[in-house]
Amino acid sequence: MKKDETITLGKFKQTKKKISNSQRNFMISTFSVIAFLILWEVCSYYKLVNPLFISSPLKIVEAAGALFVDSAYLNHIGVSTYEFAIGFLFALIIGIPIGIFAGWNQIFNAIINPFVSALYVTPKVALLPIIIIAFGIGITSKIVVVFLMAFFPIVMSAQKAMSTLDQNLIKAARSFTASEFQIFRTIALPSTVPFLLNGIRIGLGQGLIAIVVGEMYASTAGIGYHLTHAGQNLKTAEMFVGVAVIAISGVILTGMIGLIEKKFSSWKPE
Amino acid sequence: MASAAASNPKLQSQFLDVTYVNNKTGSEVIALKNINLTIEEGEFICIVGPSGCGKTTFLNTIIGFIKPSNGSILLDNKKIEGPGRDRSMVFQSPSLLPWRNVKDNVMYGVELQKRVTSETKKIALEYIEMVGLKGFENHFPHELSGGMQQRVNLARALTVDPSLLLLDEPFSALDAQTREFMQQELLRIWSETKKTSIFITHQIDEAVFLADRVFVFGARPGHLVDDIKIQLNRPRALKIKREPQFLKYVDHIWGLIEHESSKQGFEVE
Repeated sequence: MKKDETITLGKFKQTKKKISNSQRNFMISTFSVIAFLILWEVCSYYKLVNPLFISSPLKIVEAAGALFVDSAYLNHIGVSTYEFAIGFLFALIIGIPIGIFAGWNQIFNAIINPFVSALYVTPKVALLPIIIIAFGIGITSKIVVVFLMAFFPIVMSAQKAMSTLDQNLIKAARSFTASEFQIFRTIALPSTVPFLLNGIRIGLGQGLIAIVVGEMYASTAGIGYHLTHAGQNLKTAEMFVGVAVIAISGVILTGMIGLIEKKFSSWKPE
Repeated sequence: MASAAASNPKLQSQFLDVTYVNNKTGSEVIALKNINLTIEEGEFICIVGPSGCGKTTFLNTIIGFIKPSNGSILLDNKKIEGPGRDRSMVFQSPSLLPWRNVKDNVMYGVELQKRVTSETKKIALEYIEMVGLKGFENHFPHELSGGMQQRVNLARALTVDPSLLLLDEPFSALDAQTREFMQQELLRIWSETKKTSIFITHQIDEAVFLADRVFVFGARPGHLVDDIKIQLNRPRALKIKREPQFLKYVDHIWGLIEHESSKQGFEVE
């Protein structure tokens, strides 16, 4: 019935249809997630797949309920959060200025570019054994890994943003007797924001990988540590709780970047 | 119009040569050769010529981006050494900061010159109104049409209150109708501000319509071919473009450029 109406009314329906399109897509997404969870529960319940491997959504919720009132588990979350926050903060504080300066100054860029390019593509977890030796199995080594993983995407994005500045804008600024610093402040910096947010988004994902891998490899606390032990002791449901915590953190952090992006690019055409 | 100020030239180009080294081949290119001309206070000058005639180079030398290899340009009897507060340019592309609204874009030049005061803010608003953008102060560039963006470009250049206004093919990206409309608008604004202006264009009818004098440049190396006084009454309406006197000027300039181009073996653009 609805469909017929849309066709007969033709283009008059277009705007209304667009809104219902996004609503419809959201409903489809919700439905697909629910369907997946039900399928998962059914597979586990009827032992179509060994429940030891896949646990079940209900058991995971149950395990989460138990873990989130356990102060030991909250401590694991606290440790991981701390490691991530400090490592990522350093990546931002050091990475953004270095990237921007490298994009602005060709000589500095020539000096650091070989290292940045090489390390950008190197899996930083390959350096874990040395990092553990140097910084121990405590939180410091995890901070270092998070920093290394998040640092390079941030540097690269800042650098790239600087090298794609609109030369017409610079020419206009110069005609008004702008100094190098004024060009930097009024053109270069604002131009980098969208690129930078993109680099930060990639850095976030990399940082989350770093925290888990680092804690899995050698540690005494943290979600990755707990997750590994749960897995090794066949507490699959507990393991999945850890996975869910990390996944949800990632979604929330990326969502926050999205909000910042929206705020800073209100001038952009849709 | 020029007679009163004849003894006090606004801009003088004396024995001007501009040579630059091609970055790729390393060979020297002579862009301008022996340009001698004088512009009086309040004059509207148009420069036309085939591509490669150095008209944009000439403008870039006046704004101070390029240093002459010989001779000099004097503005108000002072040698031009680099960009200065006494000049501003309306660019071919609008060159607006996309993250700033119209008002802040118009204030950009003044801001770079560290002259943001309540007085300059008032002037900016006056120019926004003069170029016909009252009510659009808080719009962002992407919300404006090409013609409106060029109005912002013009208002920005005027707000710094230059002694000399330079315009580098500002209407070349606009469609024919908008272009004609903007030509008329520019004349209205010019008659209100009386700024000495140098306008570069490819279009001969545009040059004749706007100018007090048209300088015709020839190519390779760029040189001044002719200096033509346009004796058409002001204010000029668009319909003047169909009058025989107007067409005679256009024909004459066409002839000069065609001659130059055939001499050089280049096509007329």
